[in-house]
Amino acid sequence: MVTGDRLIQVQHVKKHYNHGAIKALDDVSVDINKGDVMVVIGPSGSGKSTLLRSLNLLEEPTEGSILFDGVDITQKYTVTPEGKKVKLDINIHRQKMGMVFQHFNLFPHKTILQNMTIAPIKVKGMDKAQAEEKARALLARVGLEDRADAYPIQLSGGQKQRIAIVRALMMEPEVMLFDEPTSALDPEMVGEVLEVMKELAASGMTMVVVTHEMGFAREVGNRVLFMADGRLLEEGPPQQIFGNPQNPRLQDFLSKVL
Amino acid sequence: MLSISGFQKAFEYIDLIKQGMICTLSLSALTVLFGFILALVLAICRLSNFKAAKFLATVYVEVIRATPLLVQLFIVYNILLAGISLPKFRLFGFIRFERFLPGVIALSLNSGAYLSEIIRSGIQSIDGGQTEAARSLGMTQWQNMQLIVLPQAIKNVLPAIANEFVTIIKESSICYTIGVQEIMYGVNSIKGATFSIGEPLIIAAVVYFCLTFPTSKIIAYFERRMSRGDRR
Ligand SMILES: Nc1ncnc2c1ncn2[C@@H]1O[C@H](COP(=O)(O)OP(=O)(O)O)[C@@H](O)[C@H]1O
Ligand SMILES: [Mg+2]
Repeated sequence: MVTGDRLIQVQHVKKHYNHGAIKALDDVSVDINKGDVMVVIGPSGSGKSTLLRSLNLLEEPTEGSILFDGVDITQKYTVTPEGKKVKLDINIHRQKMGMVFQHFNLFPHKTILQNMTIAPIKVKGMDKAQAEEKARALLARVGLEDRADAYPIQLSGGQKQRIAIVRALMMEPEVMLFDEPTSALDPEMVGEVLEVMKELAASGMTMVVVTHEMGFAREVGNRVLFMADGRLLEEGPPQQIFGNPQNPRLQDFLSKVL
Repeated sequence: MLSISGFQKAFEYIDLIKQGMICTLSLSALTVLFGFILALVLAICRLSNFKAAKFLATVYVEVIRATPLLVQLFIVYNILLAGISLPKFRLFGFIRFERFLPGVIALSLNSGAYLSEIIRSGIQSIDGGQTEAARSLGMTQWQNMQLIVLPQAIKNVLPAIANEFVTIIKESSICYTIGVQEIMYGVNSIKGATFSIGEPLIIAAVVYFCLTFPTSKIIAYFERRMSRGDRR
């Protein structure tokens, strides 16, 4: 990859809880390039969610920097190309990073259409009619155009997660972050969500995916990261990680999940 | 002590009780309205990261909860509004505004503190994932509060807010001590005219019951219906 293609640079990020007693992230550095489908695997409690949530600053790192398009978003201020010091608006950066959660987090008091249009309208100032047209097109893409006026509670888990994905896409993000998007689903619904994610990857979307779906990692990922104890222990293309793992912790992990 | 003729005499002055009822209901409705607005501000202050706002709101709520309503009412009437000459006119043709307003203020200041605890618990009961989703979509903290958290929180605590209305209907009787013409003031007037307190008191109790009991039942009904809607 060419260095100019770097989208996110994670540099020596640490996240400590309880005054350092818990090291959720312990000096993690990784570059995410445009078009990457980066799959993050590792045992529970290894810091995968914390890493993902640090990328859009839902979690503020204790130490280290995160550069998005070259801008260090962990700082309060940034310098414009003209050399002017301005306050950094994290909300602008968050708009460029879509996030999908394990428990969907749809807004229960809003219809599906409202779930999708509220942020474009209120945050981006998009015209309501235009936002709704865009939402309907995206709903059609995931086969849910007839559920526009339903409330989240009326949908199945798989449908909810597909909505959560297109809700994030409404903001036209540059990268999509997935935190165990299929872990809360009944097994028969996992496929429909992975299918949407595959299509998204095929369309060239940059994706960071925390998942236990090793089939997806192998088939769709171009890079796999293995984390344990808040550290990034091994990184490589899927063939290498699954076919020729080096770190004993990874070998042990794979023997349990495969 | 109670007698049929006593009730007959009291009923000749029933208009005083009717006026009292109108006054009690206006007093309570305005109190819930202003108390609710104050409560929203207090709840948001208490949950904010802004230390001074958090501290002041907490002190306010604790002081209100730790002192009697009667004392608060007298402080508002005799100290807070002592230097201010309020316009003297009559609401609905009989309620003396300069007595009514201090009553509304004192009750609102009081119920605002209690309502803020209700709203605060409502806000805290909303799953943190909601805020995370909203923030990840680029919403500001305030947009998240206003568009995502508060609408859900308030819907959840609506029954508790309605119950506070019932409580205020009862507690507002204390305002008779500063001359607000609510139900108990009517009772006192009838006593002055008939030299008998028992009958008007019984009538007042019945009126209060008729105001609050059905209201509580209606709230409970909607509460059940609303929770059914959630499980849909
Ligand atoms: N808010 C928090 N307070 C204290 N410890 C936390 C908090 N969030 C996460 N942790 C700890 O940080 C570690 C990493 O958590 P997490 O990133 O959620 O792991 P994973 O997603 O890989 O399961 C765990 O040990 C977890 O208990
Ligand atoms: Mg996790």
